[in-house]
Amino acid sequence: MSIPHKKPTLIVGGGISGITTAVEIAEVGKEVILIEQKPYLGGNVIKMNNYFPKLCPPACGLEINFRRIRQNPRIKYYTSTTLLEISGEKNNFSVKLRSAPQYVKDNCTACGKCVEVCPEERPDEFNYNFSKTKAIYFPHEMAFPAKFSIDDRYCKKESCNKCVEVCEYNAIDLSAKEEVFFLEVGSVVFATGWKNYDAGLIENLHYSDFKNVVTNVEFERLIASNGPGKDKLIRPSDNTEPEEIVFVQCAGSRDENYLPYCSAVCCPASLKHALSIQEKYPDSKIKIFYIDLRVSGRNEDFLAKVEENKNIELIKGKVAKIEEVGETKNLIVEAEDVLSGKKIKHEADLVVLATGIVPSDATLNLNKDQNGFLTEIQKEGIHAVSCCKKPMDVSSSVKDATAAALKAIQLTG
Amino acid sequence: MGKRTGVYICSGCEIGKSINIEKLSQTVTGEQNITVCKNHSSLCSVEGYELISRDIEKEKLDSVVIAACSPRVKTGIFDFPENIICERVNLREQVVWCYEQGEEDTQMAAEDYLRMGIARVKNILISQPYIADDISSDILVVGGGITGITASIEGAKAGYTVHLIEKEKKLGGWSGKLYKQIPYKEPYNKLIEPVVKEKIRNVEDNPDIKIYKSATVSKITGQPGKFEIIIQNGQEQKITVGSIVASMGWKPYDANALTHLGYGKYKNVLTNVEFEELIKEYPEKQLAKSILFIQCAGSRDKDHLPYCSSFCCGTTLKQAKYIRDLSPETSVFIIYKDIRTPGLYEEFYKEVQKDDYLFMTKGEINEIKEKDNKLQISIKNTLLGDDIEITADMVVLATGMTPAGTEDLNLAYRLGKGLPELKYNFSDSHFICFPYETRRTGIYAAGSLRAPMDIPSSMEDAKGAMLKAIQCIEATKRGEAVHPRSGDKTYPSLYLERCTDCKRCTEECPFGAYDETEKGTPLPNPTRCRRCGICLGSCPERIISFSDFSINSVSAMIKSINVPDEFEEKPRILVFVCENDAYPALDMAGRKGLKYSPYVRIIPVRCIGSINNVWISDALSKGFDGILQIGCKPGDDYQCHFIHGSELTETRSENLQETLETMMLEPERIKTEFVEITDYYKITEIINEYVEAIEEIGPNPFKEI
Amino acid sequence: MIDINPDIEFKKEVKRLSNSSLNECIQCGNCSVVCTLAPDDSPFPRKEMIWAGWGMKERLIVNTDIWLCHQCGDCSTHCPRGVKPADVFSAIRQICYRHYARPKFLNTILSKPIWLPVAILIPVIVILSIIFMAGTLQIPEGTVSYSKFFPHAWLNGSFSIIVFTIYGFAISGLIKFWNDLKAHYHDTQPKKGFFRSFLSTINEILLHSKFSSCSAQKSRKTSHLLVFYGFILLLIVTCFAIVATLTHNYPLKFTNPVKIMGNIAGLMLLTGLGIMIINRLFNKKKYGNSNYSDWLLIISFFLLVISGGLVELARFMNWYYAYHLYFFHLVCVWFVVFYLPYAKFGHMLYRTIAIGFAKAIDRQ
Repeated sequence: MSIPHKKPTLIVGGGISGITTAVEIAEVGKEVILIEQKPYLGGNVIKMNNYFPKLCPPACGLEINFRRIRQNPRIKYYTSTTLLEISGEKNNFSVKLRSAPQYVKDNCTACGKCVEVCPEERPDEFNYNFSKTKAIYFPHEMAFPAKFSIDDRYCKKESCNKCVEVCEYNAIDLSAKEEVFFLEVGSVVFATGWKNYDAGLIENLHYSDFKNVVTNVEFERLIASNGPGKDKLIRPSDNTEPEEIVFVQCAGSRDENYLPYCSAVCCPASLKHALSIQEKYPDSKIKIFYIDLRVSGRNEDFLAKVEENKNIELIKGKVAKIEEVGETKNLIVEAEDVLSGKKIKHEADLVVLATGIVPSDATLNLNKDQNGFLTEIQKEGIHAVSCCKKPMDVSSSVKDATAAALKAIQLTG
Repeated sequence: MGKRTGVYICSGCEIGKSINIEKLSQTVTGEQNITVCKNHSSLCSVEGYELISRDIEKEKLDSVVIAACSPRVKTGIFDFPENIICERVNLREQVVWCYEQGEEDTQMAAEDYLRMGIARVKNILISQPYIADDISSDILVVGGGITGITASIEGAKAGYTVHLIEKEKKLGGWSGKLYKQIPYKEPYNKLIEPVVKEKIRNVEDNPDIKIYKSATVSKITGQPGKFEIIIQNGQEQKITVGSIVASMGWKPYDANALTHLGYGKYKNVLTNVEFEELIKEYPEKQLAKSILFIQCAGSRDKDHLPYCSSFCCGTTLKQAKYIRDLSPETSVFIIYKDIRTPGLYEEFYKEVQKDDYLFMTKGEINEIKEKDNKLQISIKNTLLGDDIEITADMVVLATGMTPAGTEDLNLAYRLGKGLPELKYNFSDSHFICFPYETRRTGIYAAGSLRAPMDIPSSMEDAKGAMLKAIQCIEATKRGEAVHPRSGDKTYPSLYLERCTDCKRCTEECPFGAYDETEKGTPLPNPTRCRRCGICLGSCPERIISFSDFSINSVSAMIKSINVPDEFEEKPRILVFVCENDAYPALDMAGRKGLKYSPYVRIIPVRCIGSINNVWISDALSKGFDGILQIGCKPGDDYQCHFIHGSELTETRSENLQETLETMMLEPERIKTEFVEITDYYKITEIINEYVEAIEEIGPNPFKEI
Repeated sequence: MIDINPDIEFKKEVKRLSNSSLNECIQCGNCSVVCTLAPDDSPFPRKEMIWAGWGMKERLIVNTDIWLCHQCGDCSTHCPRGVKPADVFSAIRQICYRHYARPKFLNTILSKPIWLPVAILIPVIVILSIIFMAGTLQIPEGTVSYSKFFPHAWLNGSFSIIVFTIYGFAISGLIKFWNDLKAHYHDTQPKKGFFRSFLSTINEILLHSKFSSCSAQKSRKTSHLLVFYGFILLLIVTCFAIVATLTHNYPLKFTNPVKIMGNIAGLMLLTGLGIMIINRLFNKKKYGNSNYSDWLLIISFFLLVISGGLVELARFMNWYYAYHLYFFHLVCVWFVVFYLPYAKFGHMLYRTIAIGFAKAIDRQ
């Protein structure tokens, strides 16, 4: 049976996997539609300071991918858009989508005048709320598409109207409504990605109680040159630069009480952080507590690099207790060094919990495995890819996304 | 030739406030070859776009210069028909946002950039894509292990004819030699039949897959879309394919190097591969009473394989399960460095661990001795708190994998028979974001040839590589480049009459796009080309050009810049930036309002490796006081998307600096720097420091001439 | 350098008794840190977990740390692999009683439910024989007076002989335990005198100070204190009663202070045991696995107290079944007192010795 007009593939999620799936399909010569619920593409990786093992910035590869999207007429993308419903069969799905109200229209030039007049502030989600932006904000300097957004939980709308008045391009419409629309697609790829495990659930590590206990993803922002500390690494309690830093591996991972599986990325991620700190602060002292160091393949070199560094200590033993020192808000971390058979109590300025990957909340009722990850084949024509399917690092996600692109072109022919 | 060019200046986004638009227009209207020049308060608005579109039609324009924001934004708006050259002059991010409002220097910069834009437009052409005739859509897969088989099946499923070559008599490779396979999805408590079995049947039944067993590739010539393959399998066969997936797999690390672990010395010391074969052949065989596994045997070891092979932890757990399933009285000891069962394999680990006869500890092997036909293994640094000695009947070494190598592809390429290797002989990409990045266009390594990996990972990898192979064929059909300049329709053209056969281009092309005649004359293969322009930069005779990027186009830009004489005390520095990373970094510096010297003039290039020396000498004779080249990081962790573009530039600059000295010029007048895309603070510092350094040195003495 | 020769039977027995999949331990050391009793140097129970997994019986049964654990269950609650070190320790302690049991069969009959009839039959037959020998083997008529059924002299005399015999055997096991400890820790010079160590141990036991540091189970200290002091009180009351049979007009009046003390002790025991039973039944995750040996002790105790109370009541109320109850009570006494050193109740002796030893070698 031949289908006269090939329908596009819908890709749900504009992180690195979704972007990759989209451009790889489009560069074969097929049509794709990419939707992302945030106002910008890039997902979790755009928030990262750098990638292991090269310690290179994610923005570099994303810039190339954004260029691939810009120059390719076969890719359509919708930001601030979520998927509500899928009906139909392969090659003939109808999808119902919802776009959040587009208060800032596409003709925004991103000149920035509105920010100067906006009186309201919001916690900056991009920086994990460590800093604030105005209610009208540019998500981050690399943001693609390069346009402003309004957080309607904080914006006072027409009662304020200051941004509308100052915008020379008539690009702000505070009365905008959400839009629900339908598209016909041939196949659907879920690239909804991951979020980090809720560290607050791990009681004995006191993430919710102690300010200077942060997660590894938060640390990505803390150390980033465009993070809350600008070019400095600062700790949350007093904005000072920490000298003694502890990384707690398997924070909640490989633990039946929390996440039974291993997330595969936290070990190399912590090694990466340790090296990044050393690059910025060569005199800092870092301890990494682990159960097994899982840095497979070529990343072993990366581990060797860390082992050579005298200021980074790797200790086999799981951190089971963290206590706060009243005045300094420093932290006492306790573990057994199982190789020497001695308990260690170490005082640190900042503790980073290597929390694992859990699949993002799905908007639809999808098939999941025992850990909540989506099963690869939802039904013929609907696939899951990368981190919403199982935990993996960026390179594997891209590899998986490329494989998913092949699956998609097989389906849509 | 006389182009009809329209110039459009935007005054929005503070541009009009910072720059005198009237004065800026006059610099243009003074030029005779401008058909029309207009201002608008917001060119990116619908009205702005319509203004330009109307002019294109009315004034029969073939080119437009838009002086507004960065070419990285508003690309959807400034999208004109393909036959219109569109040049964006970045007044907003790289002039208005980073220079003082209303200052003379800001105005001068804007005027120069506008002139440079016009100069470029006048010196470039609309690209005519290179589309070869008889492009083959067939795909060659070399190596019939799990990777090659999966790639073939998936490629055929996408509608392509696949030729699968296997050097052995049977398909299946190493995975065909397995007794059982580790479960890679629920349930984790049962070993599964090797998936390769069914796949072999599928591949053999597939009419779209042509299988060549006991066959080797004796020669590959040609380029994407048209690779000519000579296959040797008793007789010689010739086929033409569009692209290639290389999946020759791996070989076990040579355990003969592991005498310290008793291999070769004691007959009961086997490798994991040998043990697998033993179990597959004699599953009924009565196993000895105790078997000890040594993990990382010759892996994660500076004297052997420095890397981790990723599969051995899982394989040992699987083999331990074989033993326990087949022989209820046998004890299994596992001595490891770290147990690496990432992701959901943790579940399998836990399953195997449940067995009472399994004993595991981290530890280091001190010594292995044989006594009374039994092996005595002494182990230190264990978790038991003591050094221990275990007596075992058999020792299994969990040895790692080494890539099979790619020399067997027998590429008839100027740059060698195999694929370039990254580290430890793996033909891997160096890019986290682009794992299939290849340095031999149209040939994609997959599976454990690329990186150590297990079966499920190899199967995924096979699909990814197959997609890239298909994509390469389709891009070639459209006459477009593949990654990273995907969609680029330009390609290098060579004016061979002036070629001196110096071989610089054939040697320096990172992608082996050029073959060579015996004399050394380059033979271009346009579909192998990745359009980095490194050859353009390398050519001393300046005979290589792209339709929109050539010696002339950049020279004209340089020459269009107004260089003040030395009495004005306004030095001029020419800055070549890589358009992939340094240019966006400057844009972001502008967005953040970071200020840098207005004495610089920035020219983006495809890669700093494409900077030709003649531009440097043009700039020096024009009176520029210094030339700064900013590219991506070279070295082990290189970030240059064209592999060694920035490295080449560094070497070339060193040579140039020597030349400068012979001309009594300060070598510092040429400088190469490296930044990352997020180094927006650093890049402004680099520029400012360089300008200061040049001011210290003083004006270029050639200014007077 | 030690030779590895795993005792797989031991490992299997530990697994059976603890109902723990101890092999799944990944040696992360989480347990050693959450344990508030584990010393900083070679903390437990991480190392014991791998020893158990490697079937290292010889090393474990002479290990003081097994006894330093008060089984609060913090380690089990927080174990990422759910391998329940607390229960593994409890299992190892049980194997320890068995190992040092003299004669062995007394441990054997207490180890599995299948032996329970034998365990019951022994006291039944012995007590009946003694009563037979005393010539009072029939239900007496008239107001209830237990000495009519079982004359005080016979009861006190025979039970004392049995106590001394059994404890004599048991002490030989304890001495072996003590010597094994000394042999195992021969490299470690005692830093304190054993006597002082034992004094401090007794003090610790009396205060139950180690219990307070456990966080997983708060009510454990209370219940154990109640049972502990209830038991001590009862022992005192019993000793007094034995003397009283000779010096006083026995049985004592209900208003006799000693009698009141006995009743209070009974109530204390009952409350403590009640809490223990409820916790074990309804909060398994926190309180760990309860095996036969645990239940045997608790239930024997429980029945002892209940039957004791009933015996008293029966005398007062002049019940017909008073003598049957009395007989049943004596069997319970046998279970709790005579079987004591051979099952879980042995922890009173072994733990005291081990903690005392640990204190002497400065293992805190």
